[in-house]
Amino acid sequence: MNYNASAGPELEPSSFPTQTQRVIPVMADKGIKRSSMDTDGSSDPKRAKTDPKYNKYLAHYDDNQAQNDFSSPLDQLERHKTTTQQATKCEDSDLNPWTGQPHSQQYFNILQTRRNLPVCQQRKEFLEMYHSTQILVFVGETGSGKTTQIPQYVLYDELPHQTGKLIACTQPRRVAAMSVAQRVANELDVELGQEVGYSIRFENKTGPKTMLKYMTDGQLLRESMHDHEMSRYSTIILDEAHERTLATDILMALLKQIAERRKDLKIIVMSATLDAQKFQTYFFDAPLLAVPGRTHPVEIFYTPEPERDYVEAAVRTVLQIHATEPEGDILLFLTGEEEIEDACRRINLEVDDMVRESDAGPMRVYPLYGTLPPAQQQRIFDKAPEPLRKGGRPGRKCIVATNIAETSLTIDGIVYVVDPGFSKQKIYNPRSRVESLLVSPISKASAQQRAGRAGRTRPGKCFRLYTEKAFKKELIEQTYPEILRSNLANTVLELKKLGVEDLVHFDLMDPPAPETMMRALEELNYLACLDDDGELTELGSRASEFPLDPALAVMLISSPEFYCSNEILSITSLLSVPSIWVRPNNARKRADEMKQQFAHPDGDHLTLLNAYHAFKGAEQSGADAKQWCHEHFLSPRHLMSADNVRAQLKRIMETHDIELISTPFQDKNYYTNIRRALLAGFFMQVAMRESSNSKVYKTVKDDQLVMIHPSTVITSPYDWVMYNEFVLTTKQYVRTVTNIRPEWLLEIAPVYYDLEAFDKGEIKSALTRITEKIRRRQAMKGGA
Amino acid sequence: MDPPAKTQPQSNDSDSEDDYMKMTFTDDPSTLASSARPSQPETSLQRRQRERREAEARSHVKSKAELAAEVEARREAAHATSLLTLASSSKPKSKGLAMMAKMGFTGGALGTAAKEGGRDDRVVEPIRIAVKDGREGIGLESDRKRKLREAAEAAGEVTKRARVDEGEYRERMRREREHARLERQVCAAQKVAESMDDERTEGDAADEGREEREEREAKRREAKKGRAISSRPLKSLPVMYRGLVKAREEGERDRRMRHDLEQSLSRLPTYEDGDEDEDDKRALDKTQTQSTTYVTADDLDDEDVELDEFNTLPMAERLQRLVEYLRAEHRYCFWCKFVYPDAEMDGCPGLTEEDHD
Repeated sequence: MNYNASAGPELEPSSFPTQTQRVIPVMADKGIKRSSMDTDGSSDPKRAKTDPKYNKYLAHYDDNQAQNDFSSPLDQLERHKTTTQQATKCEDSDLNPWTGQPHSQQYFNILQTRRNLPVCQQRKEFLEMYHSTQILVFVGETGSGKTTQIPQYVLYDELPHQTGKLIACTQPRRVAAMSVAQRVANELDVELGQEVGYSIRFENKTGPKTMLKYMTDGQLLRESMHDHEMSRYSTIILDEAHERTLATDILMALLKQIAERRKDLKIIVMSATLDAQKFQTYFFDAPLLAVPGRTHPVEIFYTPEPERDYVEAAVRTVLQIHATEPEGDILLFLTGEEEIEDACRRINLEVDDMVRESDAGPMRVYPLYGTLPPAQQQRIFDKAPEPLRKGGRPGRKCIVATNIAETSLTIDGIVYVVDPGFSKQKIYNPRSRVESLLVSPISKASAQQRAGRAGRTRPGKCFRLYTEKAFKKELIEQTYPEILRSNLANTVLELKKLGVEDLVHFDLMDPPAPETMMRALEELNYLACLDDDGELTELGSRASEFPLDPALAVMLISSPEFYCSNEILSITSLLSVPSIWVRPNNARKRADEMKQQFAHPDGDHLTLLNAYHAFKGAEQSGADAKQWCHEHFLSPRHLMSADNVRAQLKRIMETHDIELISTPFQDKNYYTNIRRALLAGFFMQVAMRESSNSKVYKTVKDDQLVMIHPSTVITSPYDWVMYNEFVLTTKQYVRTVTNIRPEWLLEIAPVYYDLEAFDKGEIKSALTRITEKIRRRQAMKGGA
Repeated sequence: MDPPAKTQPQSNDSDSEDDYMKMTFTDDPSTLASSARPSQPETSLQRRQRERREAEARSHVKSKAELAAEVEARREAAHATSLLTLASSSKPKSKGLAMMAKMGFTGGALGTAAKEGGRDDRVVEPIRIAVKDGREGIGLESDRKRKLREAAEAAGEVTKRARVDEGEYRERMRREREHARLERQVCAAQKVAESMDDERTEGDAADEGREEREEREAKRREAKKGRAISSRPLKSLPVMYRGLVKAREEGERDRRMRHDLEQSLSRLPTYEDGDEDEDDKRALDKTQTQSTTYVTADDLDDEDVELDEFNTLPMAERLQRLVEYLRAEHRYCFWCKFVYPDAEMDGCPGLTEEDHD
């Protein structure tokens, strides 16, 4: 090192103007110069401060300041020709090359850990490949640092401040997009929402300065509806592509097309599994860069016999590990909230006994699932408990998680993984239109991924609660991509809006079953979003503006016709968030009593609305909203997020001149109007009671037998109901149900309820009788 | 909420089954009527009938299990039918399919075909929905099925081994030959047993009247000739060789019936014609036939559980039973072909054929 920089008093960080975006300190400028001379690329920020030659640049700096136009170390970089050394120097400088602010101590601490990430070793290789190709497939296991680092490497090469184009990095999950954006903002020593931001459905935390944007894949898809070329972006990074979410699959197909038109657009597809060949082939044989994971060997154990009860077996296995295995945390995979809470309870009880009776170490058990409040989710990162007494047996923690913990979350310290082999998976069948979350066996790829979680810190063990034979014979190779397991009505609407004309030959990595496409087109046609030729209608175009399912969007757009758009807006928001009802195991009865206070005899939608109104009332009266929610067994988090969603949707309605009106509450038609308005979107989700003393309903057209979910407030046996969702467990339920009148169906959705097109059956005869009745009544009126 | 498991109000299940079936049918006429002639309201009589039928159908409350089965059956039924075939046959053509056809869909999978040499794994059918009930671990169900299958296989191993394979072919031929040999031996042993039994009954009858003895003697001669049908009811014979006698008698009966049929001009020989006198009968050769045949015919057609049971035994077992029977009853060894003077049967090497090798 022959070149040192020293900061004079004029170069004190505090003396730099900071308001302007592109204020770049001279010192950093020198860094560029320096880097052009350096070959080894290493630098020492402390020594840089003593460089005697800085004065030459100081004058330059003064000029810049006067013009309010600053050169930055980055200005010296040539886009798409940068090297690792150059970037490293920029990172090492005392002042933030992006903001001009001095780097904090924390920044350098983090920088140190960043440099230790496996992906950092391959920065040079990455850049070379990035320069040489338009599309790149990048494989790195969870924990390699790819999600946080690669976008930053790109940032230092794309130099967005020169082009004004952004870098997008997509994530399948909202939480990941938010937390990764926060992390990267810390790493770059910038404020979240400024240079680094995130954008998720119903929440946008970006600003005019934003250069690097983390977003959900769905959000990028929505954005591209208005920007078919994705011209705002210079680089698009699809992270966690191996998860094969619906939106990622659609984005890949779109990007494949755009890449041909826009040669300047760079695309990086990042995957955590080694099955990257499929991505390469799909993207015109794109080159592959793989970062070896930092993993330790994991020993895998199978059970000799299949298990009768996998939850029981899992609890037993955890306890056995705790009793016999050396120190190390446990990760147990289960399928859902209820199961996880149940297992946690059982493990806790048993561990208490073990501690009392056999001097076992303490064990803390944490649940982890999607709907858990963030603060509680955070607890999984707590340290394992200390031994109960000095020299006692070590404590450990046990995390009982859904498959969130499979790829997207990195928890250090896990040495033992217990894998019963199930997860809850979305499934859709266009033939019965059953769409539900079902407990299903995982794939071999998932099982390997789960096992890998045990080898993060040191060699680990994975206990699979099934036989080796079952692993080989019963598990499918790869989890089915979401596109094969989803209702595509929303996707088809989006694609139409994106200008994709030929849906049949749209080049998806895994095209869905033709029947799924047919069903989606039909549904959109019934919703009047597509005309008979498959062209987007005015209504369809408007509906696609809402980040909602088409049925909800159509319901919302049509609601002014029923004089209740305010109420429908509230209901739509409430249906777009997780359930607002809280029903703790130890207070079910009281929770039900409280819910009863809001109950409307005509159904659950109106009950939701009542609860929301009560919540708003309490808020306005100045009550402590949280306390009020707690007392009424409502989730403040979900109510507030519904409130937020409502505000967002309201804005969209206003931009589209959709009137916000209400029927006066005193009007006897207040609730009736709402019930009718619900049908405008949900006329395809209607069921008729089988017979007068039965609790069984039959869904219209699909002819499935269902019962009303026990969570309903409905007590009267209504003959006709509309429902929000179909739930398939071992029974078939409809959830969130409201009483309707069959006459409304004929009136509101005459095309769907065209009796000529109905299959013979009870529903047709019932509807025929009603038609008769209406006709007679009208005839009488006409005659009178 | 689950419907409480109610017991059937009806007396039995078949009743309720009927009701359930009716439900589908009752609706049809009304549907047809109203859809065919929507302008004509049904008459009050029709309505009352329909209402009564519907009420009946409705009054039936399904049990939990019935319901669960029906729910599943409906779902499976829906999942088993392709919408594409359904759509192409439906009356108003499916709009969805029409749109797809416009985009160039002609069947098969969506998307674009894989490059040459690439694997085409595009789906044509939706993914099947498998509902898992309970908390059974992976592999339990298939394990259970496998065990069932193995048990079934073990039971029917002989039939399962039908695969053609040189070794197996030889084995099968050997088995068949062995079976035929055993069958012959069983037949022989049955004959021996019958004749020995006959001889003994004759010996028993020795002290009876001479005439009777002579009569039997004559019968025996006749039996020697053609093994005439014995007058003893079949069921009184030991089961070991009852089959033999029965087969013989059946054969005999058939033969005679055929014979009689051929002899008689048009009528069955048993036909009693009121117009016939003695001379006519003699002329038609009816006197003889009536005296002998058709006596045991009823007996022959009777069901014989004991015999059936015996016949289902393996050939070797039947032979063994016969050998034992002969030894016990007649101190006769089938293998030595010798009647021993005492029950110890001194000098006979043993029960089985191998012992006599």
